Amino acid sequence: MRNNPPKIITYLANLPLNLLLYATLIVPFALMIYLAFLAWNPAAGINWWEAPFTGVNNFIRALSDSRFIAALGRTAAFVVIVVTIEFFLGLALAYFMLEEFKGKKISLSLIIYPLMLPWVVVALIFYLFFQDYGPMNNVFLKLIIGESAQNIHWFLSSTTAFISLIIADVWQWTPFIFLVMYSGLSAVSKRLIEAAQVLGASSRTIFWRIQLPLIKPLVLIAVVLRALEAFKVFDIAYVMTGGGPGTSTETISLYIYRVAIEYHDISYAAALSLIVLIILVIIIRSFIWYSFERGVKR
Amino acid sequence: MILYLDSNNDCENLFMPTARYNPMSEKVEGKISRRRFITASIGAGVVGIIVGAAGAWLLKPEVVAEKTVTTTLTREVTKTVTATAPITVTPPPVGLDVVAQRAIDGVKSLIAKGAAKPGDTIRILHVAGSRANLEKAIELWSKYIPEIKIELITLGQEPDVYTKAMSEAVTKAGTFDAVTIFSTWLGDIVEAGLARPIDDFFSKYDPGYTGDIAPIEPLASYTTLYKGRRYALVFDSDVFTLSYRRDLLTDPKLKDQFRSQYGMELKLPDTWEELIKMAEFFTKLNLTAPSGGRVWGAYFYAEPRFAAYITWLNIFIESGGILFDLKTMDPKIDTKEGKYAFDVMLRLKPYMPPEAITASWADLYDKFVKGETVFTAAWPSLSKEAHRPTALVKDVAGSAVLPGVEVDVAGAKKIVRAAPNPVNWVAVISNYAKNPELTYLFFQFATSPDIGKDVILTGVILDLFRRCWFTDPKYRPAFEEGYGSEFVDAYLRSLEISFPDLLIRGGPEYLGKLTVNVNAVMAGTKDPEDALSETAADWDSINKKYGVDAQLEAWRALANLFPSDVKEVWRAKGYM
Repeated sequence: MRNNPPKIITYLANLPLNLLLYATLIVPFALMIYLAFLAWNPAAGINWWEAPFTGVNNFIRALSDSRFIAALGRTAAFVVIVVTIEFFLGLALAYFMLEEFKGKKISLSLIIYPLMLPWVVVALIFYLFFQDYGPMNNVFLKLIIGESAQNIHWFLSSTTAFISLIIADVWQWTPFIFLVMYSGLSAVSKRLIEAAQVLGASSRTIFWRIQLPLIKPLVLIAVVLRALEAFKVFDIAYVMTGGGPGTSTETISLYIYRVAIEYHDISYAAALSLIVLIILVIIIRSFIWYSFERGVKR
Repeated sequence: MILYLDSNNDCENLFMPTARYNPMSEKVEGKISRRRFITASIGAGVVGIIVGAAGAWLLKPEVVAEKTVTTTLTREVTKTVTATAPITVTPPPVGLDVVAQRAIDGVKSLIAKGAAKPGDTIRILHVAGSRANLEKAIELWSKYIPEIKIELITLGQEPDVYTKAMSEAVTKAGTFDAVTIFSTWLGDIVEAGLARPIDDFFSKYDPGYTGDIAPIEPLASYTTLYKGRRYALVFDSDVFTLSYRRDLLTDPKLKDQFRSQYGMELKLPDTWEELIKMAEFFTKLNLTAPSGGRVWGAYFYAEPRFAAYITWLNIFIESGGILFDLKTMDPKIDTKEGKYAFDVMLRLKPYMPPEAITASWADLYDKFVKGETVFTAAWPSLSKEAHRPTALVKDVAGSAVLPGVEVDVAGAKKIVRAAPNPVNWVAVISNYAKNPELTYLFFQFATSPDIGKDVILTGVILDLFRRCWFTDPKYRPAFEEGYGSEFVDAYLRSLEISFPDLLIRGGPEYLGKLTVNVNAVMAGTKDPEDALSETAADWDSINKKYGVDAQLEAWRALANLFPSDVKEVWRAKGYM
């Protein structure tokens, strides 16, 4: 058995990576936490290290900021809706794609295609799609409700504008869930399924009792990753609705962007970001505990 | 090192591949051995050093300086133009105006005194839209002053310029010598310590801000002064004018029909009230545009991203509204003038395409050049677009001063007309510039009557601002060709009655909050009174954030630069 290299070698070998990590991640993050407790605004003409310390004022301000709370609630609703739809749609697609059929490879490519597009491109596509003269009104809805489809103004009402964002997100991200679910379901041992079939289990039983439990870790990974991404939604709201009408489709990322970049209230934006981070950590941790660790004795 | 995937079909393992590495093995399964890997790495390193050194030697600075175009590799800098030529004797400038001549002489004097030296580079941060304009300025500069190079740091979007400029104010790194900014940002840029006052250069070099060649007032003052000090050179003008379909407005049949329906003449509207009636008339005619689309009576900005405040502010100012109390800095928008501005906009709403409330600012341009709107208002570039050969309204697009509001001034009725000047590019010299005087001289040269004319007519986003460009036969024909003669006249009048964006610290934030609420009212998601009271509360918070006294000082200085008609109404109402 070979001896381990001296510790100094290990440290030196890790040093470049650690330096990179500290420089790009930990230092800025620490700085952001520090800024959240200051009242720093670049337009004030002072350096950030000279800004007055304000304690938890920014956090207290956030709690009474109705626009922040509304954006947070709206984003949470967006996450729940899109992740639910994308999960069931992706799972259903994955299940059906397990069967062999002619043109399967092309179908797989087509399903994954939206995932390859940059977010901004998707946002622009759907921005045009939902215009009064766009395909949604002039092709799809016209077939169903006739000429009156022309009178639907998707971005003029809070509800329809929000729905348009959901549709855009579902279109782009269902393939991600599909991809993960399909990989998982394909990897389930055929022997297990055959054994269940021999014992007389129906397709539904096999799916619910064998296939789905076996891919549970993947389901968790997919849902958590997707929820985290969906919570950060910015591009489609910025491009498609600009957060409007008014602020009725303003997501939390868009609001923090405006606070930081348009209103250059950097300290307050840092505090808002921290609040969002803490909320996300609590939710995701609770989800993991509920799904995996609940009832497990160590 | 080789990664093995377990052949076990267990799906959990499938996604957790096991890495197996045998550090003792020198050669594993035909892969590269550790010894060979180390040898190859060292070899590659040595070769890399030799190639790098050779490259550095080959591309040493004097060789780079001879290139006319260089592409940089940084993310923000999309391209760098280096205007250079072999250093030779400067040809004597012939026939240039005095402003440009003074700039050239100033540079020569600096070089002679050793305050600047051949090969010095001025770096300018600017938005991509002005690249063609600046390249033209560099081309002309290099004819007269080839010794001094200009480097452009081009950013893609307007907000990027603001972010980068504010970052520079924080880091003080001296990454650029000058920046072209929206005048709306001037308060922030000055207060952040980035903008260098240039009163001394103004006195020393006289950029031609008086007499017939001067930039038109009040625009020249309100876009360059902050709290009474000069921080910028005018580089552009962005005053709104009314654009309209002349063919429809002058059609005899339509004129008769309108007269019989409304009891008044179909003509250029003097007031918003008249415009509402005309917009209603044209919308209800259900006309078909040259594009095949529907013709709407009006299209004025109400969109959520940034432009909605422009229409509201225009009507508000014309009706005698003042943004803040001149004694206390209390917001004064939750007033009858504020409600009237919403009232006009809401009455216009049925005659505007729904996209006015949802689409981006460019949609207004698209609809007008396709002939789908009768009345609209935008930046001067709309007139340029409407006169392009491909525009469906190229022969019928007219321009006029925006309509006004009839107000009571000292017992007499008077129509007050004003024109907003949203954004407006200005050139600011950085406090961290390596040679601010030299940098200033470049912009004096680029904005001089002769050079500025060519610079403005080259690109898209910069527009005319010197009086001689409107009145002097030497310049006017070139602008008439670019914009149309009717526009040039209407624009001169609009510049004279123009009023500024809120050019105090936090300007973008104040206007951003207003935009969101104007859009919400137009979309029907908020009541006008709620929108006004919420905006006033937001503005009050911003005042407190920056300090009421400091904001008041800036607001008082700015309010004095509003057009005289507006100030007359303020005085009559006791606001001033």
